[in-house]
Amino acid sequence: MSPPRSPWAGTPPGADHADLAALLARVAVGDQAAFDAMYDRVAAPVFGTVRRVVRDPGLTEEVTQEVFVEVWRAASRFDASKGSPMAWVATIAHRRAVDRVRSEQRSADRDRRAAAPMIAYDDVAETVADNLDRERVRRCLGTLTDLQREAVTLAYYGGYTYRQVAGLLGVPAGTVSTRMRDGLIRLRDCLGAGR
Amino acid sequence: MRIRRPEPHTLAGAYALDALDGPDRARFERHAARCQECTREVTGLREATARLAAAAAAPPPAALKEALRAETARTRQLPPVTHDGHAAGRARPRLGVHRLGPRRLGPRRLGLRRPALALGGAAAVAAVTVWVTASPGPSAGPPSSSQEIATVLTAPDAVKLTARVRTGGTATVVMSHHHGMLVFAAAGLRPLPAAQHYELWLIGPGQDQPAGRLPMPSHGMTGPVIASGLRSGDRLGLTVEPAAGTGHPTTPMILELTL
Repeated sequence: MSPPRSPWAGTPPGADHADLAALLARVAVGDQAAFDAMYDRVAAPVFGTVRRVVRDPGLTEEVTQEVFVEVWRAASRFDASKGSPMAWVATIAHRRAVDRVRSEQRSADRDRRAAAPMIAYDDVAETVADNLDRERVRRCLGTLTDLQREAVTLAYYGGYTYRQVAGLLGVPAGTVSTRMRDGLIRLRDCLGAGR
Repeated sequence: MRIRRPEPHTLAGAYALDALDGPDRARFERHAARCQECTREVTGLREATARLAAAAAAPPPAALKEALRAETARTRQLPPVTHDGHAAGRARPRLGVHRLGPRRLGPRRLGLRRPALALGGAAAVAAVTVWVTASPGPSAGPPSSSQEIATVLTAPDAVKLTARVRTGGTATVVMSHHHGMLVFAAAGLRPLPAAQHYELWLIGPGQDQPAGRLPMPSHGMTGPVIASGLRSGDRLGLTVEPAAGTGHPTTPMILELTL
């Protein structure tokens, strides 16, 4: 198996996490080289996730940058007993993206927004190296019920709140929150078992 | 403020997905501060959401790394949390997510330019929390599936439009030109006699194309329905038609939207 670019692709769990955790520990003391190495490992998941949520290319770059400045700033707060380093970084990235979208949404001028030009993304540039992750996640998402899958993906990639997801899918909010939880548990188990 | 609230514990999934907004999020965090099981669960679920992040991986522009290097060089780092010192304690995040600082980087600091584009799709749709799933009734258009609807709503180019219907009610359209599809939903449409229905039309340069029959309103809500075959320059129209169906609009448009 070729050397993975992503923190998970094809590696035994643990080894790669330990690696990334070690990099974060060095980042915490201001090691710029470690930061660069860490960036190379997680930049694509961070950028891709932020882009999925915020959509606007300029804003995607801005939020991605904020995420990494935050990782730099707060690296000392990473605690391996509270999850993997990738989960820590991904959480910072996703939350920041979602929060930015929601705050833009609150302040946005709806008319101007409706008239805004369309943005086309160049998805062709996406790398082959990530296909393994993508394929595995896609397969595991396939094991969820339709409602679980839609609830999870609308929230994660669409950036919707569970109440918004409930409205979009026409089901009660309580049902959506339960399905999100069940769906994530199933996804977690499937991905873990697939290693 | 809100009437129905799910039990905090059932919100662990929504929390891990960042699908709780401010008040809901704060409420869950207060609960989790007293609930070790919740904290453990969120930690586990975040391993799953991180894999969703990995699955979305896309290479960032090379310039980003350079800009970032300059930025980190002038950003002071937080000291480590100590177990006896004051940096610890309440500042320590129980859920493994430290609070993000309020600082936001302006374009000047970023060294990157951001066009003043407003957000489309997801942001815009957020206000629409009232849609119901379409009944698989005798729609002229393709059957609405929530999968297709989700595709449009999460499309990178999704744009939302809202407009009043002349005979009463409000229509909301989310469209993706990339997918050539739009999602139509309405609230408060005037009820029709059984012999009539609402019909959507795509009005192009050549001809008017039937784009779907709206299901009967339920609790004041109509749709969502999916219309496909959208071409650039099309307009969307809505008319009242005889239930027997028709190939072209026979009554005046009660809604017309430039897409």
